[in-house]
Amino acid sequence: MSANIESFPGTPLSQDDLDEGKVLTTYWRPKLKYGWDAGVAISRYLEELKNGRIIGVRCSQCRRVVVPPRVVCEWCWEPIDEWVYLEDTGTVNTFSVCYIRWDASRAKEPQIPAVIEIDGASKAGFLHLLDEVNPDDVKIGMKVQAVWKPAPERVGSITDIRYFKPL
Amino acid sequence: MSLIERLQKVEDAKVWYDDIPIENEYTVGIAGERFLRTLKEQGVIMGTVCPNCDLTYVPPSMYCERCFAELDEWVEVPSTGVVDTYTVLTRSLEGEPLGEPQVLALIRLEGAHGGLVHRLGEITPEEVEIGMAVQAVLKPANERQGSILDIEHFKPV
Repeated sequence: MSANIESFPGTPLSQDDLDEGKVLTTYWRPKLKYGWDAGVAISRYLEELKNGRIIGVRCSQCRRVVVPPRVVCEWCWEPIDEWVYLEDTGTVNTFSVCYIRWDASRAKEPQIPAVIEIDGASKAGFLHLLDEVNPDDVKIGMKVQAVWKPAPERVGSITDIRYFKPL
Repeated sequence: MSLIERLQKVEDAKVWYDDIPIENEYTVGIAGERFLRTLKEQGVIMGTVCPNCDLTYVPPSMYCERCFAELDEWVEVPSTGVVDTYTVLTRSLEGEPLGEPQVLALIRLEGAHGGLVHRLGEITPEEVEIGMAVQAVLKPANERQGSILDIEHFKPV
């Protein structure tokens, strides 16, 4: 629709105009540091990732196995208290081939975020990246396995798993 | 683990620390551009005049906020004015204690409508009063950058 509009009111400016200082601006970079309390369940989950293991919980009421773990089942509201170690393999539930980075810059090599349903866990899954795979070959339902960082590099973060690769 | 279970060791409680990288750059606008360039190049504070309402806006506005007329008449205003209101800061934006308290004031320049938010200098916080006369202290011409901080501060007169 905007293609039909020949000219817009106002003063058009480009990034170059700003960089060259053609117009005056005010610049601000707020300090937005935060600390997020991971809670009981995610704390253990992150700790186990550092050990190279994926841990979930089983709800005694509805028998679901939930990963990442929660202290309360969001289906039946039952407090959960049974920990289960899970495989580091799973199935691609959905994925996207992404040529734009988080800051909106263009990427030559695409990133492939995917929701991975971990073997032994109930439906759903968690978000991670796929790699060692041609973007054209990614299929929903394909089996994948975690590629871990070496133990000394692991810090207790979801990025302790580098990515998932086809099995 | 359950809802009422407690962590036994403090180090079991994980806190995720990170930083949200946001930056912004605002253009000062057409009236702001002329206001700040005049301040930088001539060391002069200017406002726009609405002849209908008989008001001079400082900082200048492109349109009269009362009658919506477009304002194209610019006048130089004196660098003196009065403190309309003020506050004493003891902490920085990040919440860190400031060594010296800072006084920020809304300053209405002589003959002008509106006001500039700026620092008061050459004065202790106890001496500041609403209604007191102040004057702009400009930075030397070679240090001015086309910013409202080209006015170093306002001092009492």
